[in-house]
Amino acid sequence: MTNEVLSVRDGGPGAAIIDIKGEVTARSEDALMAAFSEANESKPHAILLNFSDLEYMNSSGIGLLVTLLVRANRQRQELFAFGLTDHYRQIFELTRLDEAVGIHDTEGDALAAAGAS
Amino acid sequence: MSARAGALRRFIGRRRTQVRSEGAVTPLQREMEVAPVDIAPNDPILAYFQTASGAVELESLHLESPARDALLEAGVRIVVPLITQGELVGLLNLGPRLSEQEYSADDRKLLDALAGQAAPAVRVAQLVRQPESQARERERVEQELRVAQLIQQQFLPRELPDLHGWHVAAYYRPAREVGGDFYDFIELPGGRIGIVVGDVTDKGVPAALVMATTHSLLRAEAPRLVEPSKVLERVNDLLVNDMPPKMFVTCLYVVLDPAAGTLRFANAGHNLPYVGAEGETLELMARGMPLGLLPDMTYEEKAATLAPGTSLLLHSDGLAEAHNPEGDMFGFPRLMGIVGSGGAGEALIDNCLKSLDSFVGASWDQEDDITLVTVQRYGSGVNRPPAAETDGSRVLTQFELPSEPGNERRAFALVTESVQELGLPDDQLEKLKTAVAEATMNAIEHGNHNDPRIPVGITASVENQDLVVRITDEGGSDILSHRESPDLEAKLEGRQNPRGWGLFLIESMVDEMDVTSDGTTRTVELIFHLKGDGHGR
Repeated sequence: MTNEVLSVRDGGPGAAIIDIKGEVTARSEDALMAAFSEANESKPHAILLNFSDLEYMNSSGIGLLVTLLVRANRQRQELFAFGLTDHYRQIFELTRLDEAVGIHDTEGDALAAAGAS
Repeated sequence: MSARAGALRRFIGRRRTQVRSEGAVTPLQREMEVAPVDIAPNDPILAYFQTASGAVELESLHLESPARDALLEAGVRIVVPLITQGELVGLLNLGPRLSEQEYSADDRKLLDALAGQAAPAVRVAQLVRQPESQARERERVEQELRVAQLIQQQFLPRELPDLHGWHVAAYYRPAREVGGDFYDFIELPGGRIGIVVGDVTDKGVPAALVMATTHSLLRAEAPRLVEPSKVLERVNDLLVNDMPPKMFVTCLYVVLDPAAGTLRFANAGHNLPYVGAEGETLELMARGMPLGLLPDMTYEEKAATLAPGTSLLLHSDGLAEAHNPEGDMFGFPRLMGIVGSGGAGEALIDNCLKSLDSFVGASWDQEDDITLVTVQRYGSGVNRPPAAETDGSRVLTQFELPSEPGNERRAFALVTESVQELGLPDDQLEKLKTAVAEATMNAIEHGNHNDPRIPVGITASVENQDLVVRITDEGGSDILSHRESPDLEAKLEGRQNPRGWGLFLIESMVDEMDVTSDGTTRTVELIFHLKGDGHGR
């Protein structure tokens, strides 16, 4: 799980999708940061995080997302998320990450919001 | 016989006789106290009086009797035995007649008649007074018992050692006549701990005093010498010179290294300890003579490892050598069977006592002190035996995990499994998972600094209408009160670390959270209301 490579997909014009697998914790930092760099190679204006296969995210993982958000903001990119369970969606709301990250139910909704479809 | 003889002595001692004052014309009568005469219980004169028919003239009594001589010396001429229902209950002692004439046949008849009347009355008086003297004797014995108990209790440990990854329990029940059992825990260098169980032969105050001495010697020598065999050798040498005759001390001494899970032990003639694991019981054998018997003894020293999930039982012979009304002994095989049957800690002690109760029956008079000490090593991530239901709370699970990053997942998996029976709705379960994970992470990282040797302790229980999860670490007295609320904007602007969401998350997941500390151990308490606001059933 720790050194897992996360796959990065093209989400259409100006959008890249990172498929999260397993956990988002301190141990997935390298994999997530590598995927973020890879996603940035196409200089997208929107990066979408696919949480459909998320098993576990903890506070360190939220810290990682904040770090990603800081980087995205710096690059004037927008972050989107989809496929979150109710529980993690609630955590996004509690932490107010939902105000900085566009939360959507499906990949299609998220791509539409990112103006990529 | 002794009480009766005592009554007899007092009777004689209070005899008063009247003698005529010397050379006085007027028969001036003066009362004179006669020195008390003691009659030994085995003096043949008692047997003589017992069978005598009426007044006995001492001078004509030819008997090898110190009492006869003493009575004559005291001026007694005639003794009238007071006999009632075949029992000699007193003596009527008379000096010479005031007229200096011999006692006449009429006098004797009068005395016999008087004795016949007096004897039952004296007996009644004795019976009335007997309970008083018996009560005084009982009081004296009770007082001595209290002193022995006081000494004994003074030297029993006030508290049990608190060892991470281990659970120590102890039980001590003195016999009515305190038997000289003792146990002790001694802190040793390097985080090790000395565990002592001993038994002084003999009972009461003498045994208690020898126990106190042995206890003090062990306390003084153990931290200095550490090695169990050396400690027993030294204590034996110190004790042997001052030991009262026919007394000695059996003693088992164990040095436990909690971090390594190893123990070294030596034995001075005490019962062998048992190790129980997975249906099996092992005996830890080491040879050595009891303390205080002979000088220059050496003691065999052995080593053993207590694997996670195993329990050690140290015991005095009050349990294994208890007898039932039929005269059968409880026995060591029976005790080994109990140790192998799986209980640990208080549950193991409880099993021993229940088995003893059913073996000896209700009317049992405990023959000897009973001492039981259990040392249990928890298995990593293995559920502890659930504690008994007490005051409306029920333990669902109790376990410890090494402080390694990632173990929070095991923590919430075990807790989630244990709460299945509560039938919590999914959203509540998810909150529980996150809260337990965050609190465990906090304990691993900040409380125990990722040191795998220091375990995180986790207990989940139902208390009244709440699910309560307690997570302990060695975070000392930091009760997390100075925490700063995470602020996303501040984090995005770089004014706050992107991390630091843990406690905020916990507080958002639970109904109540409480952090306490005893100065060393910190406990985070997570409370979920099972009723009301739509949670749970």
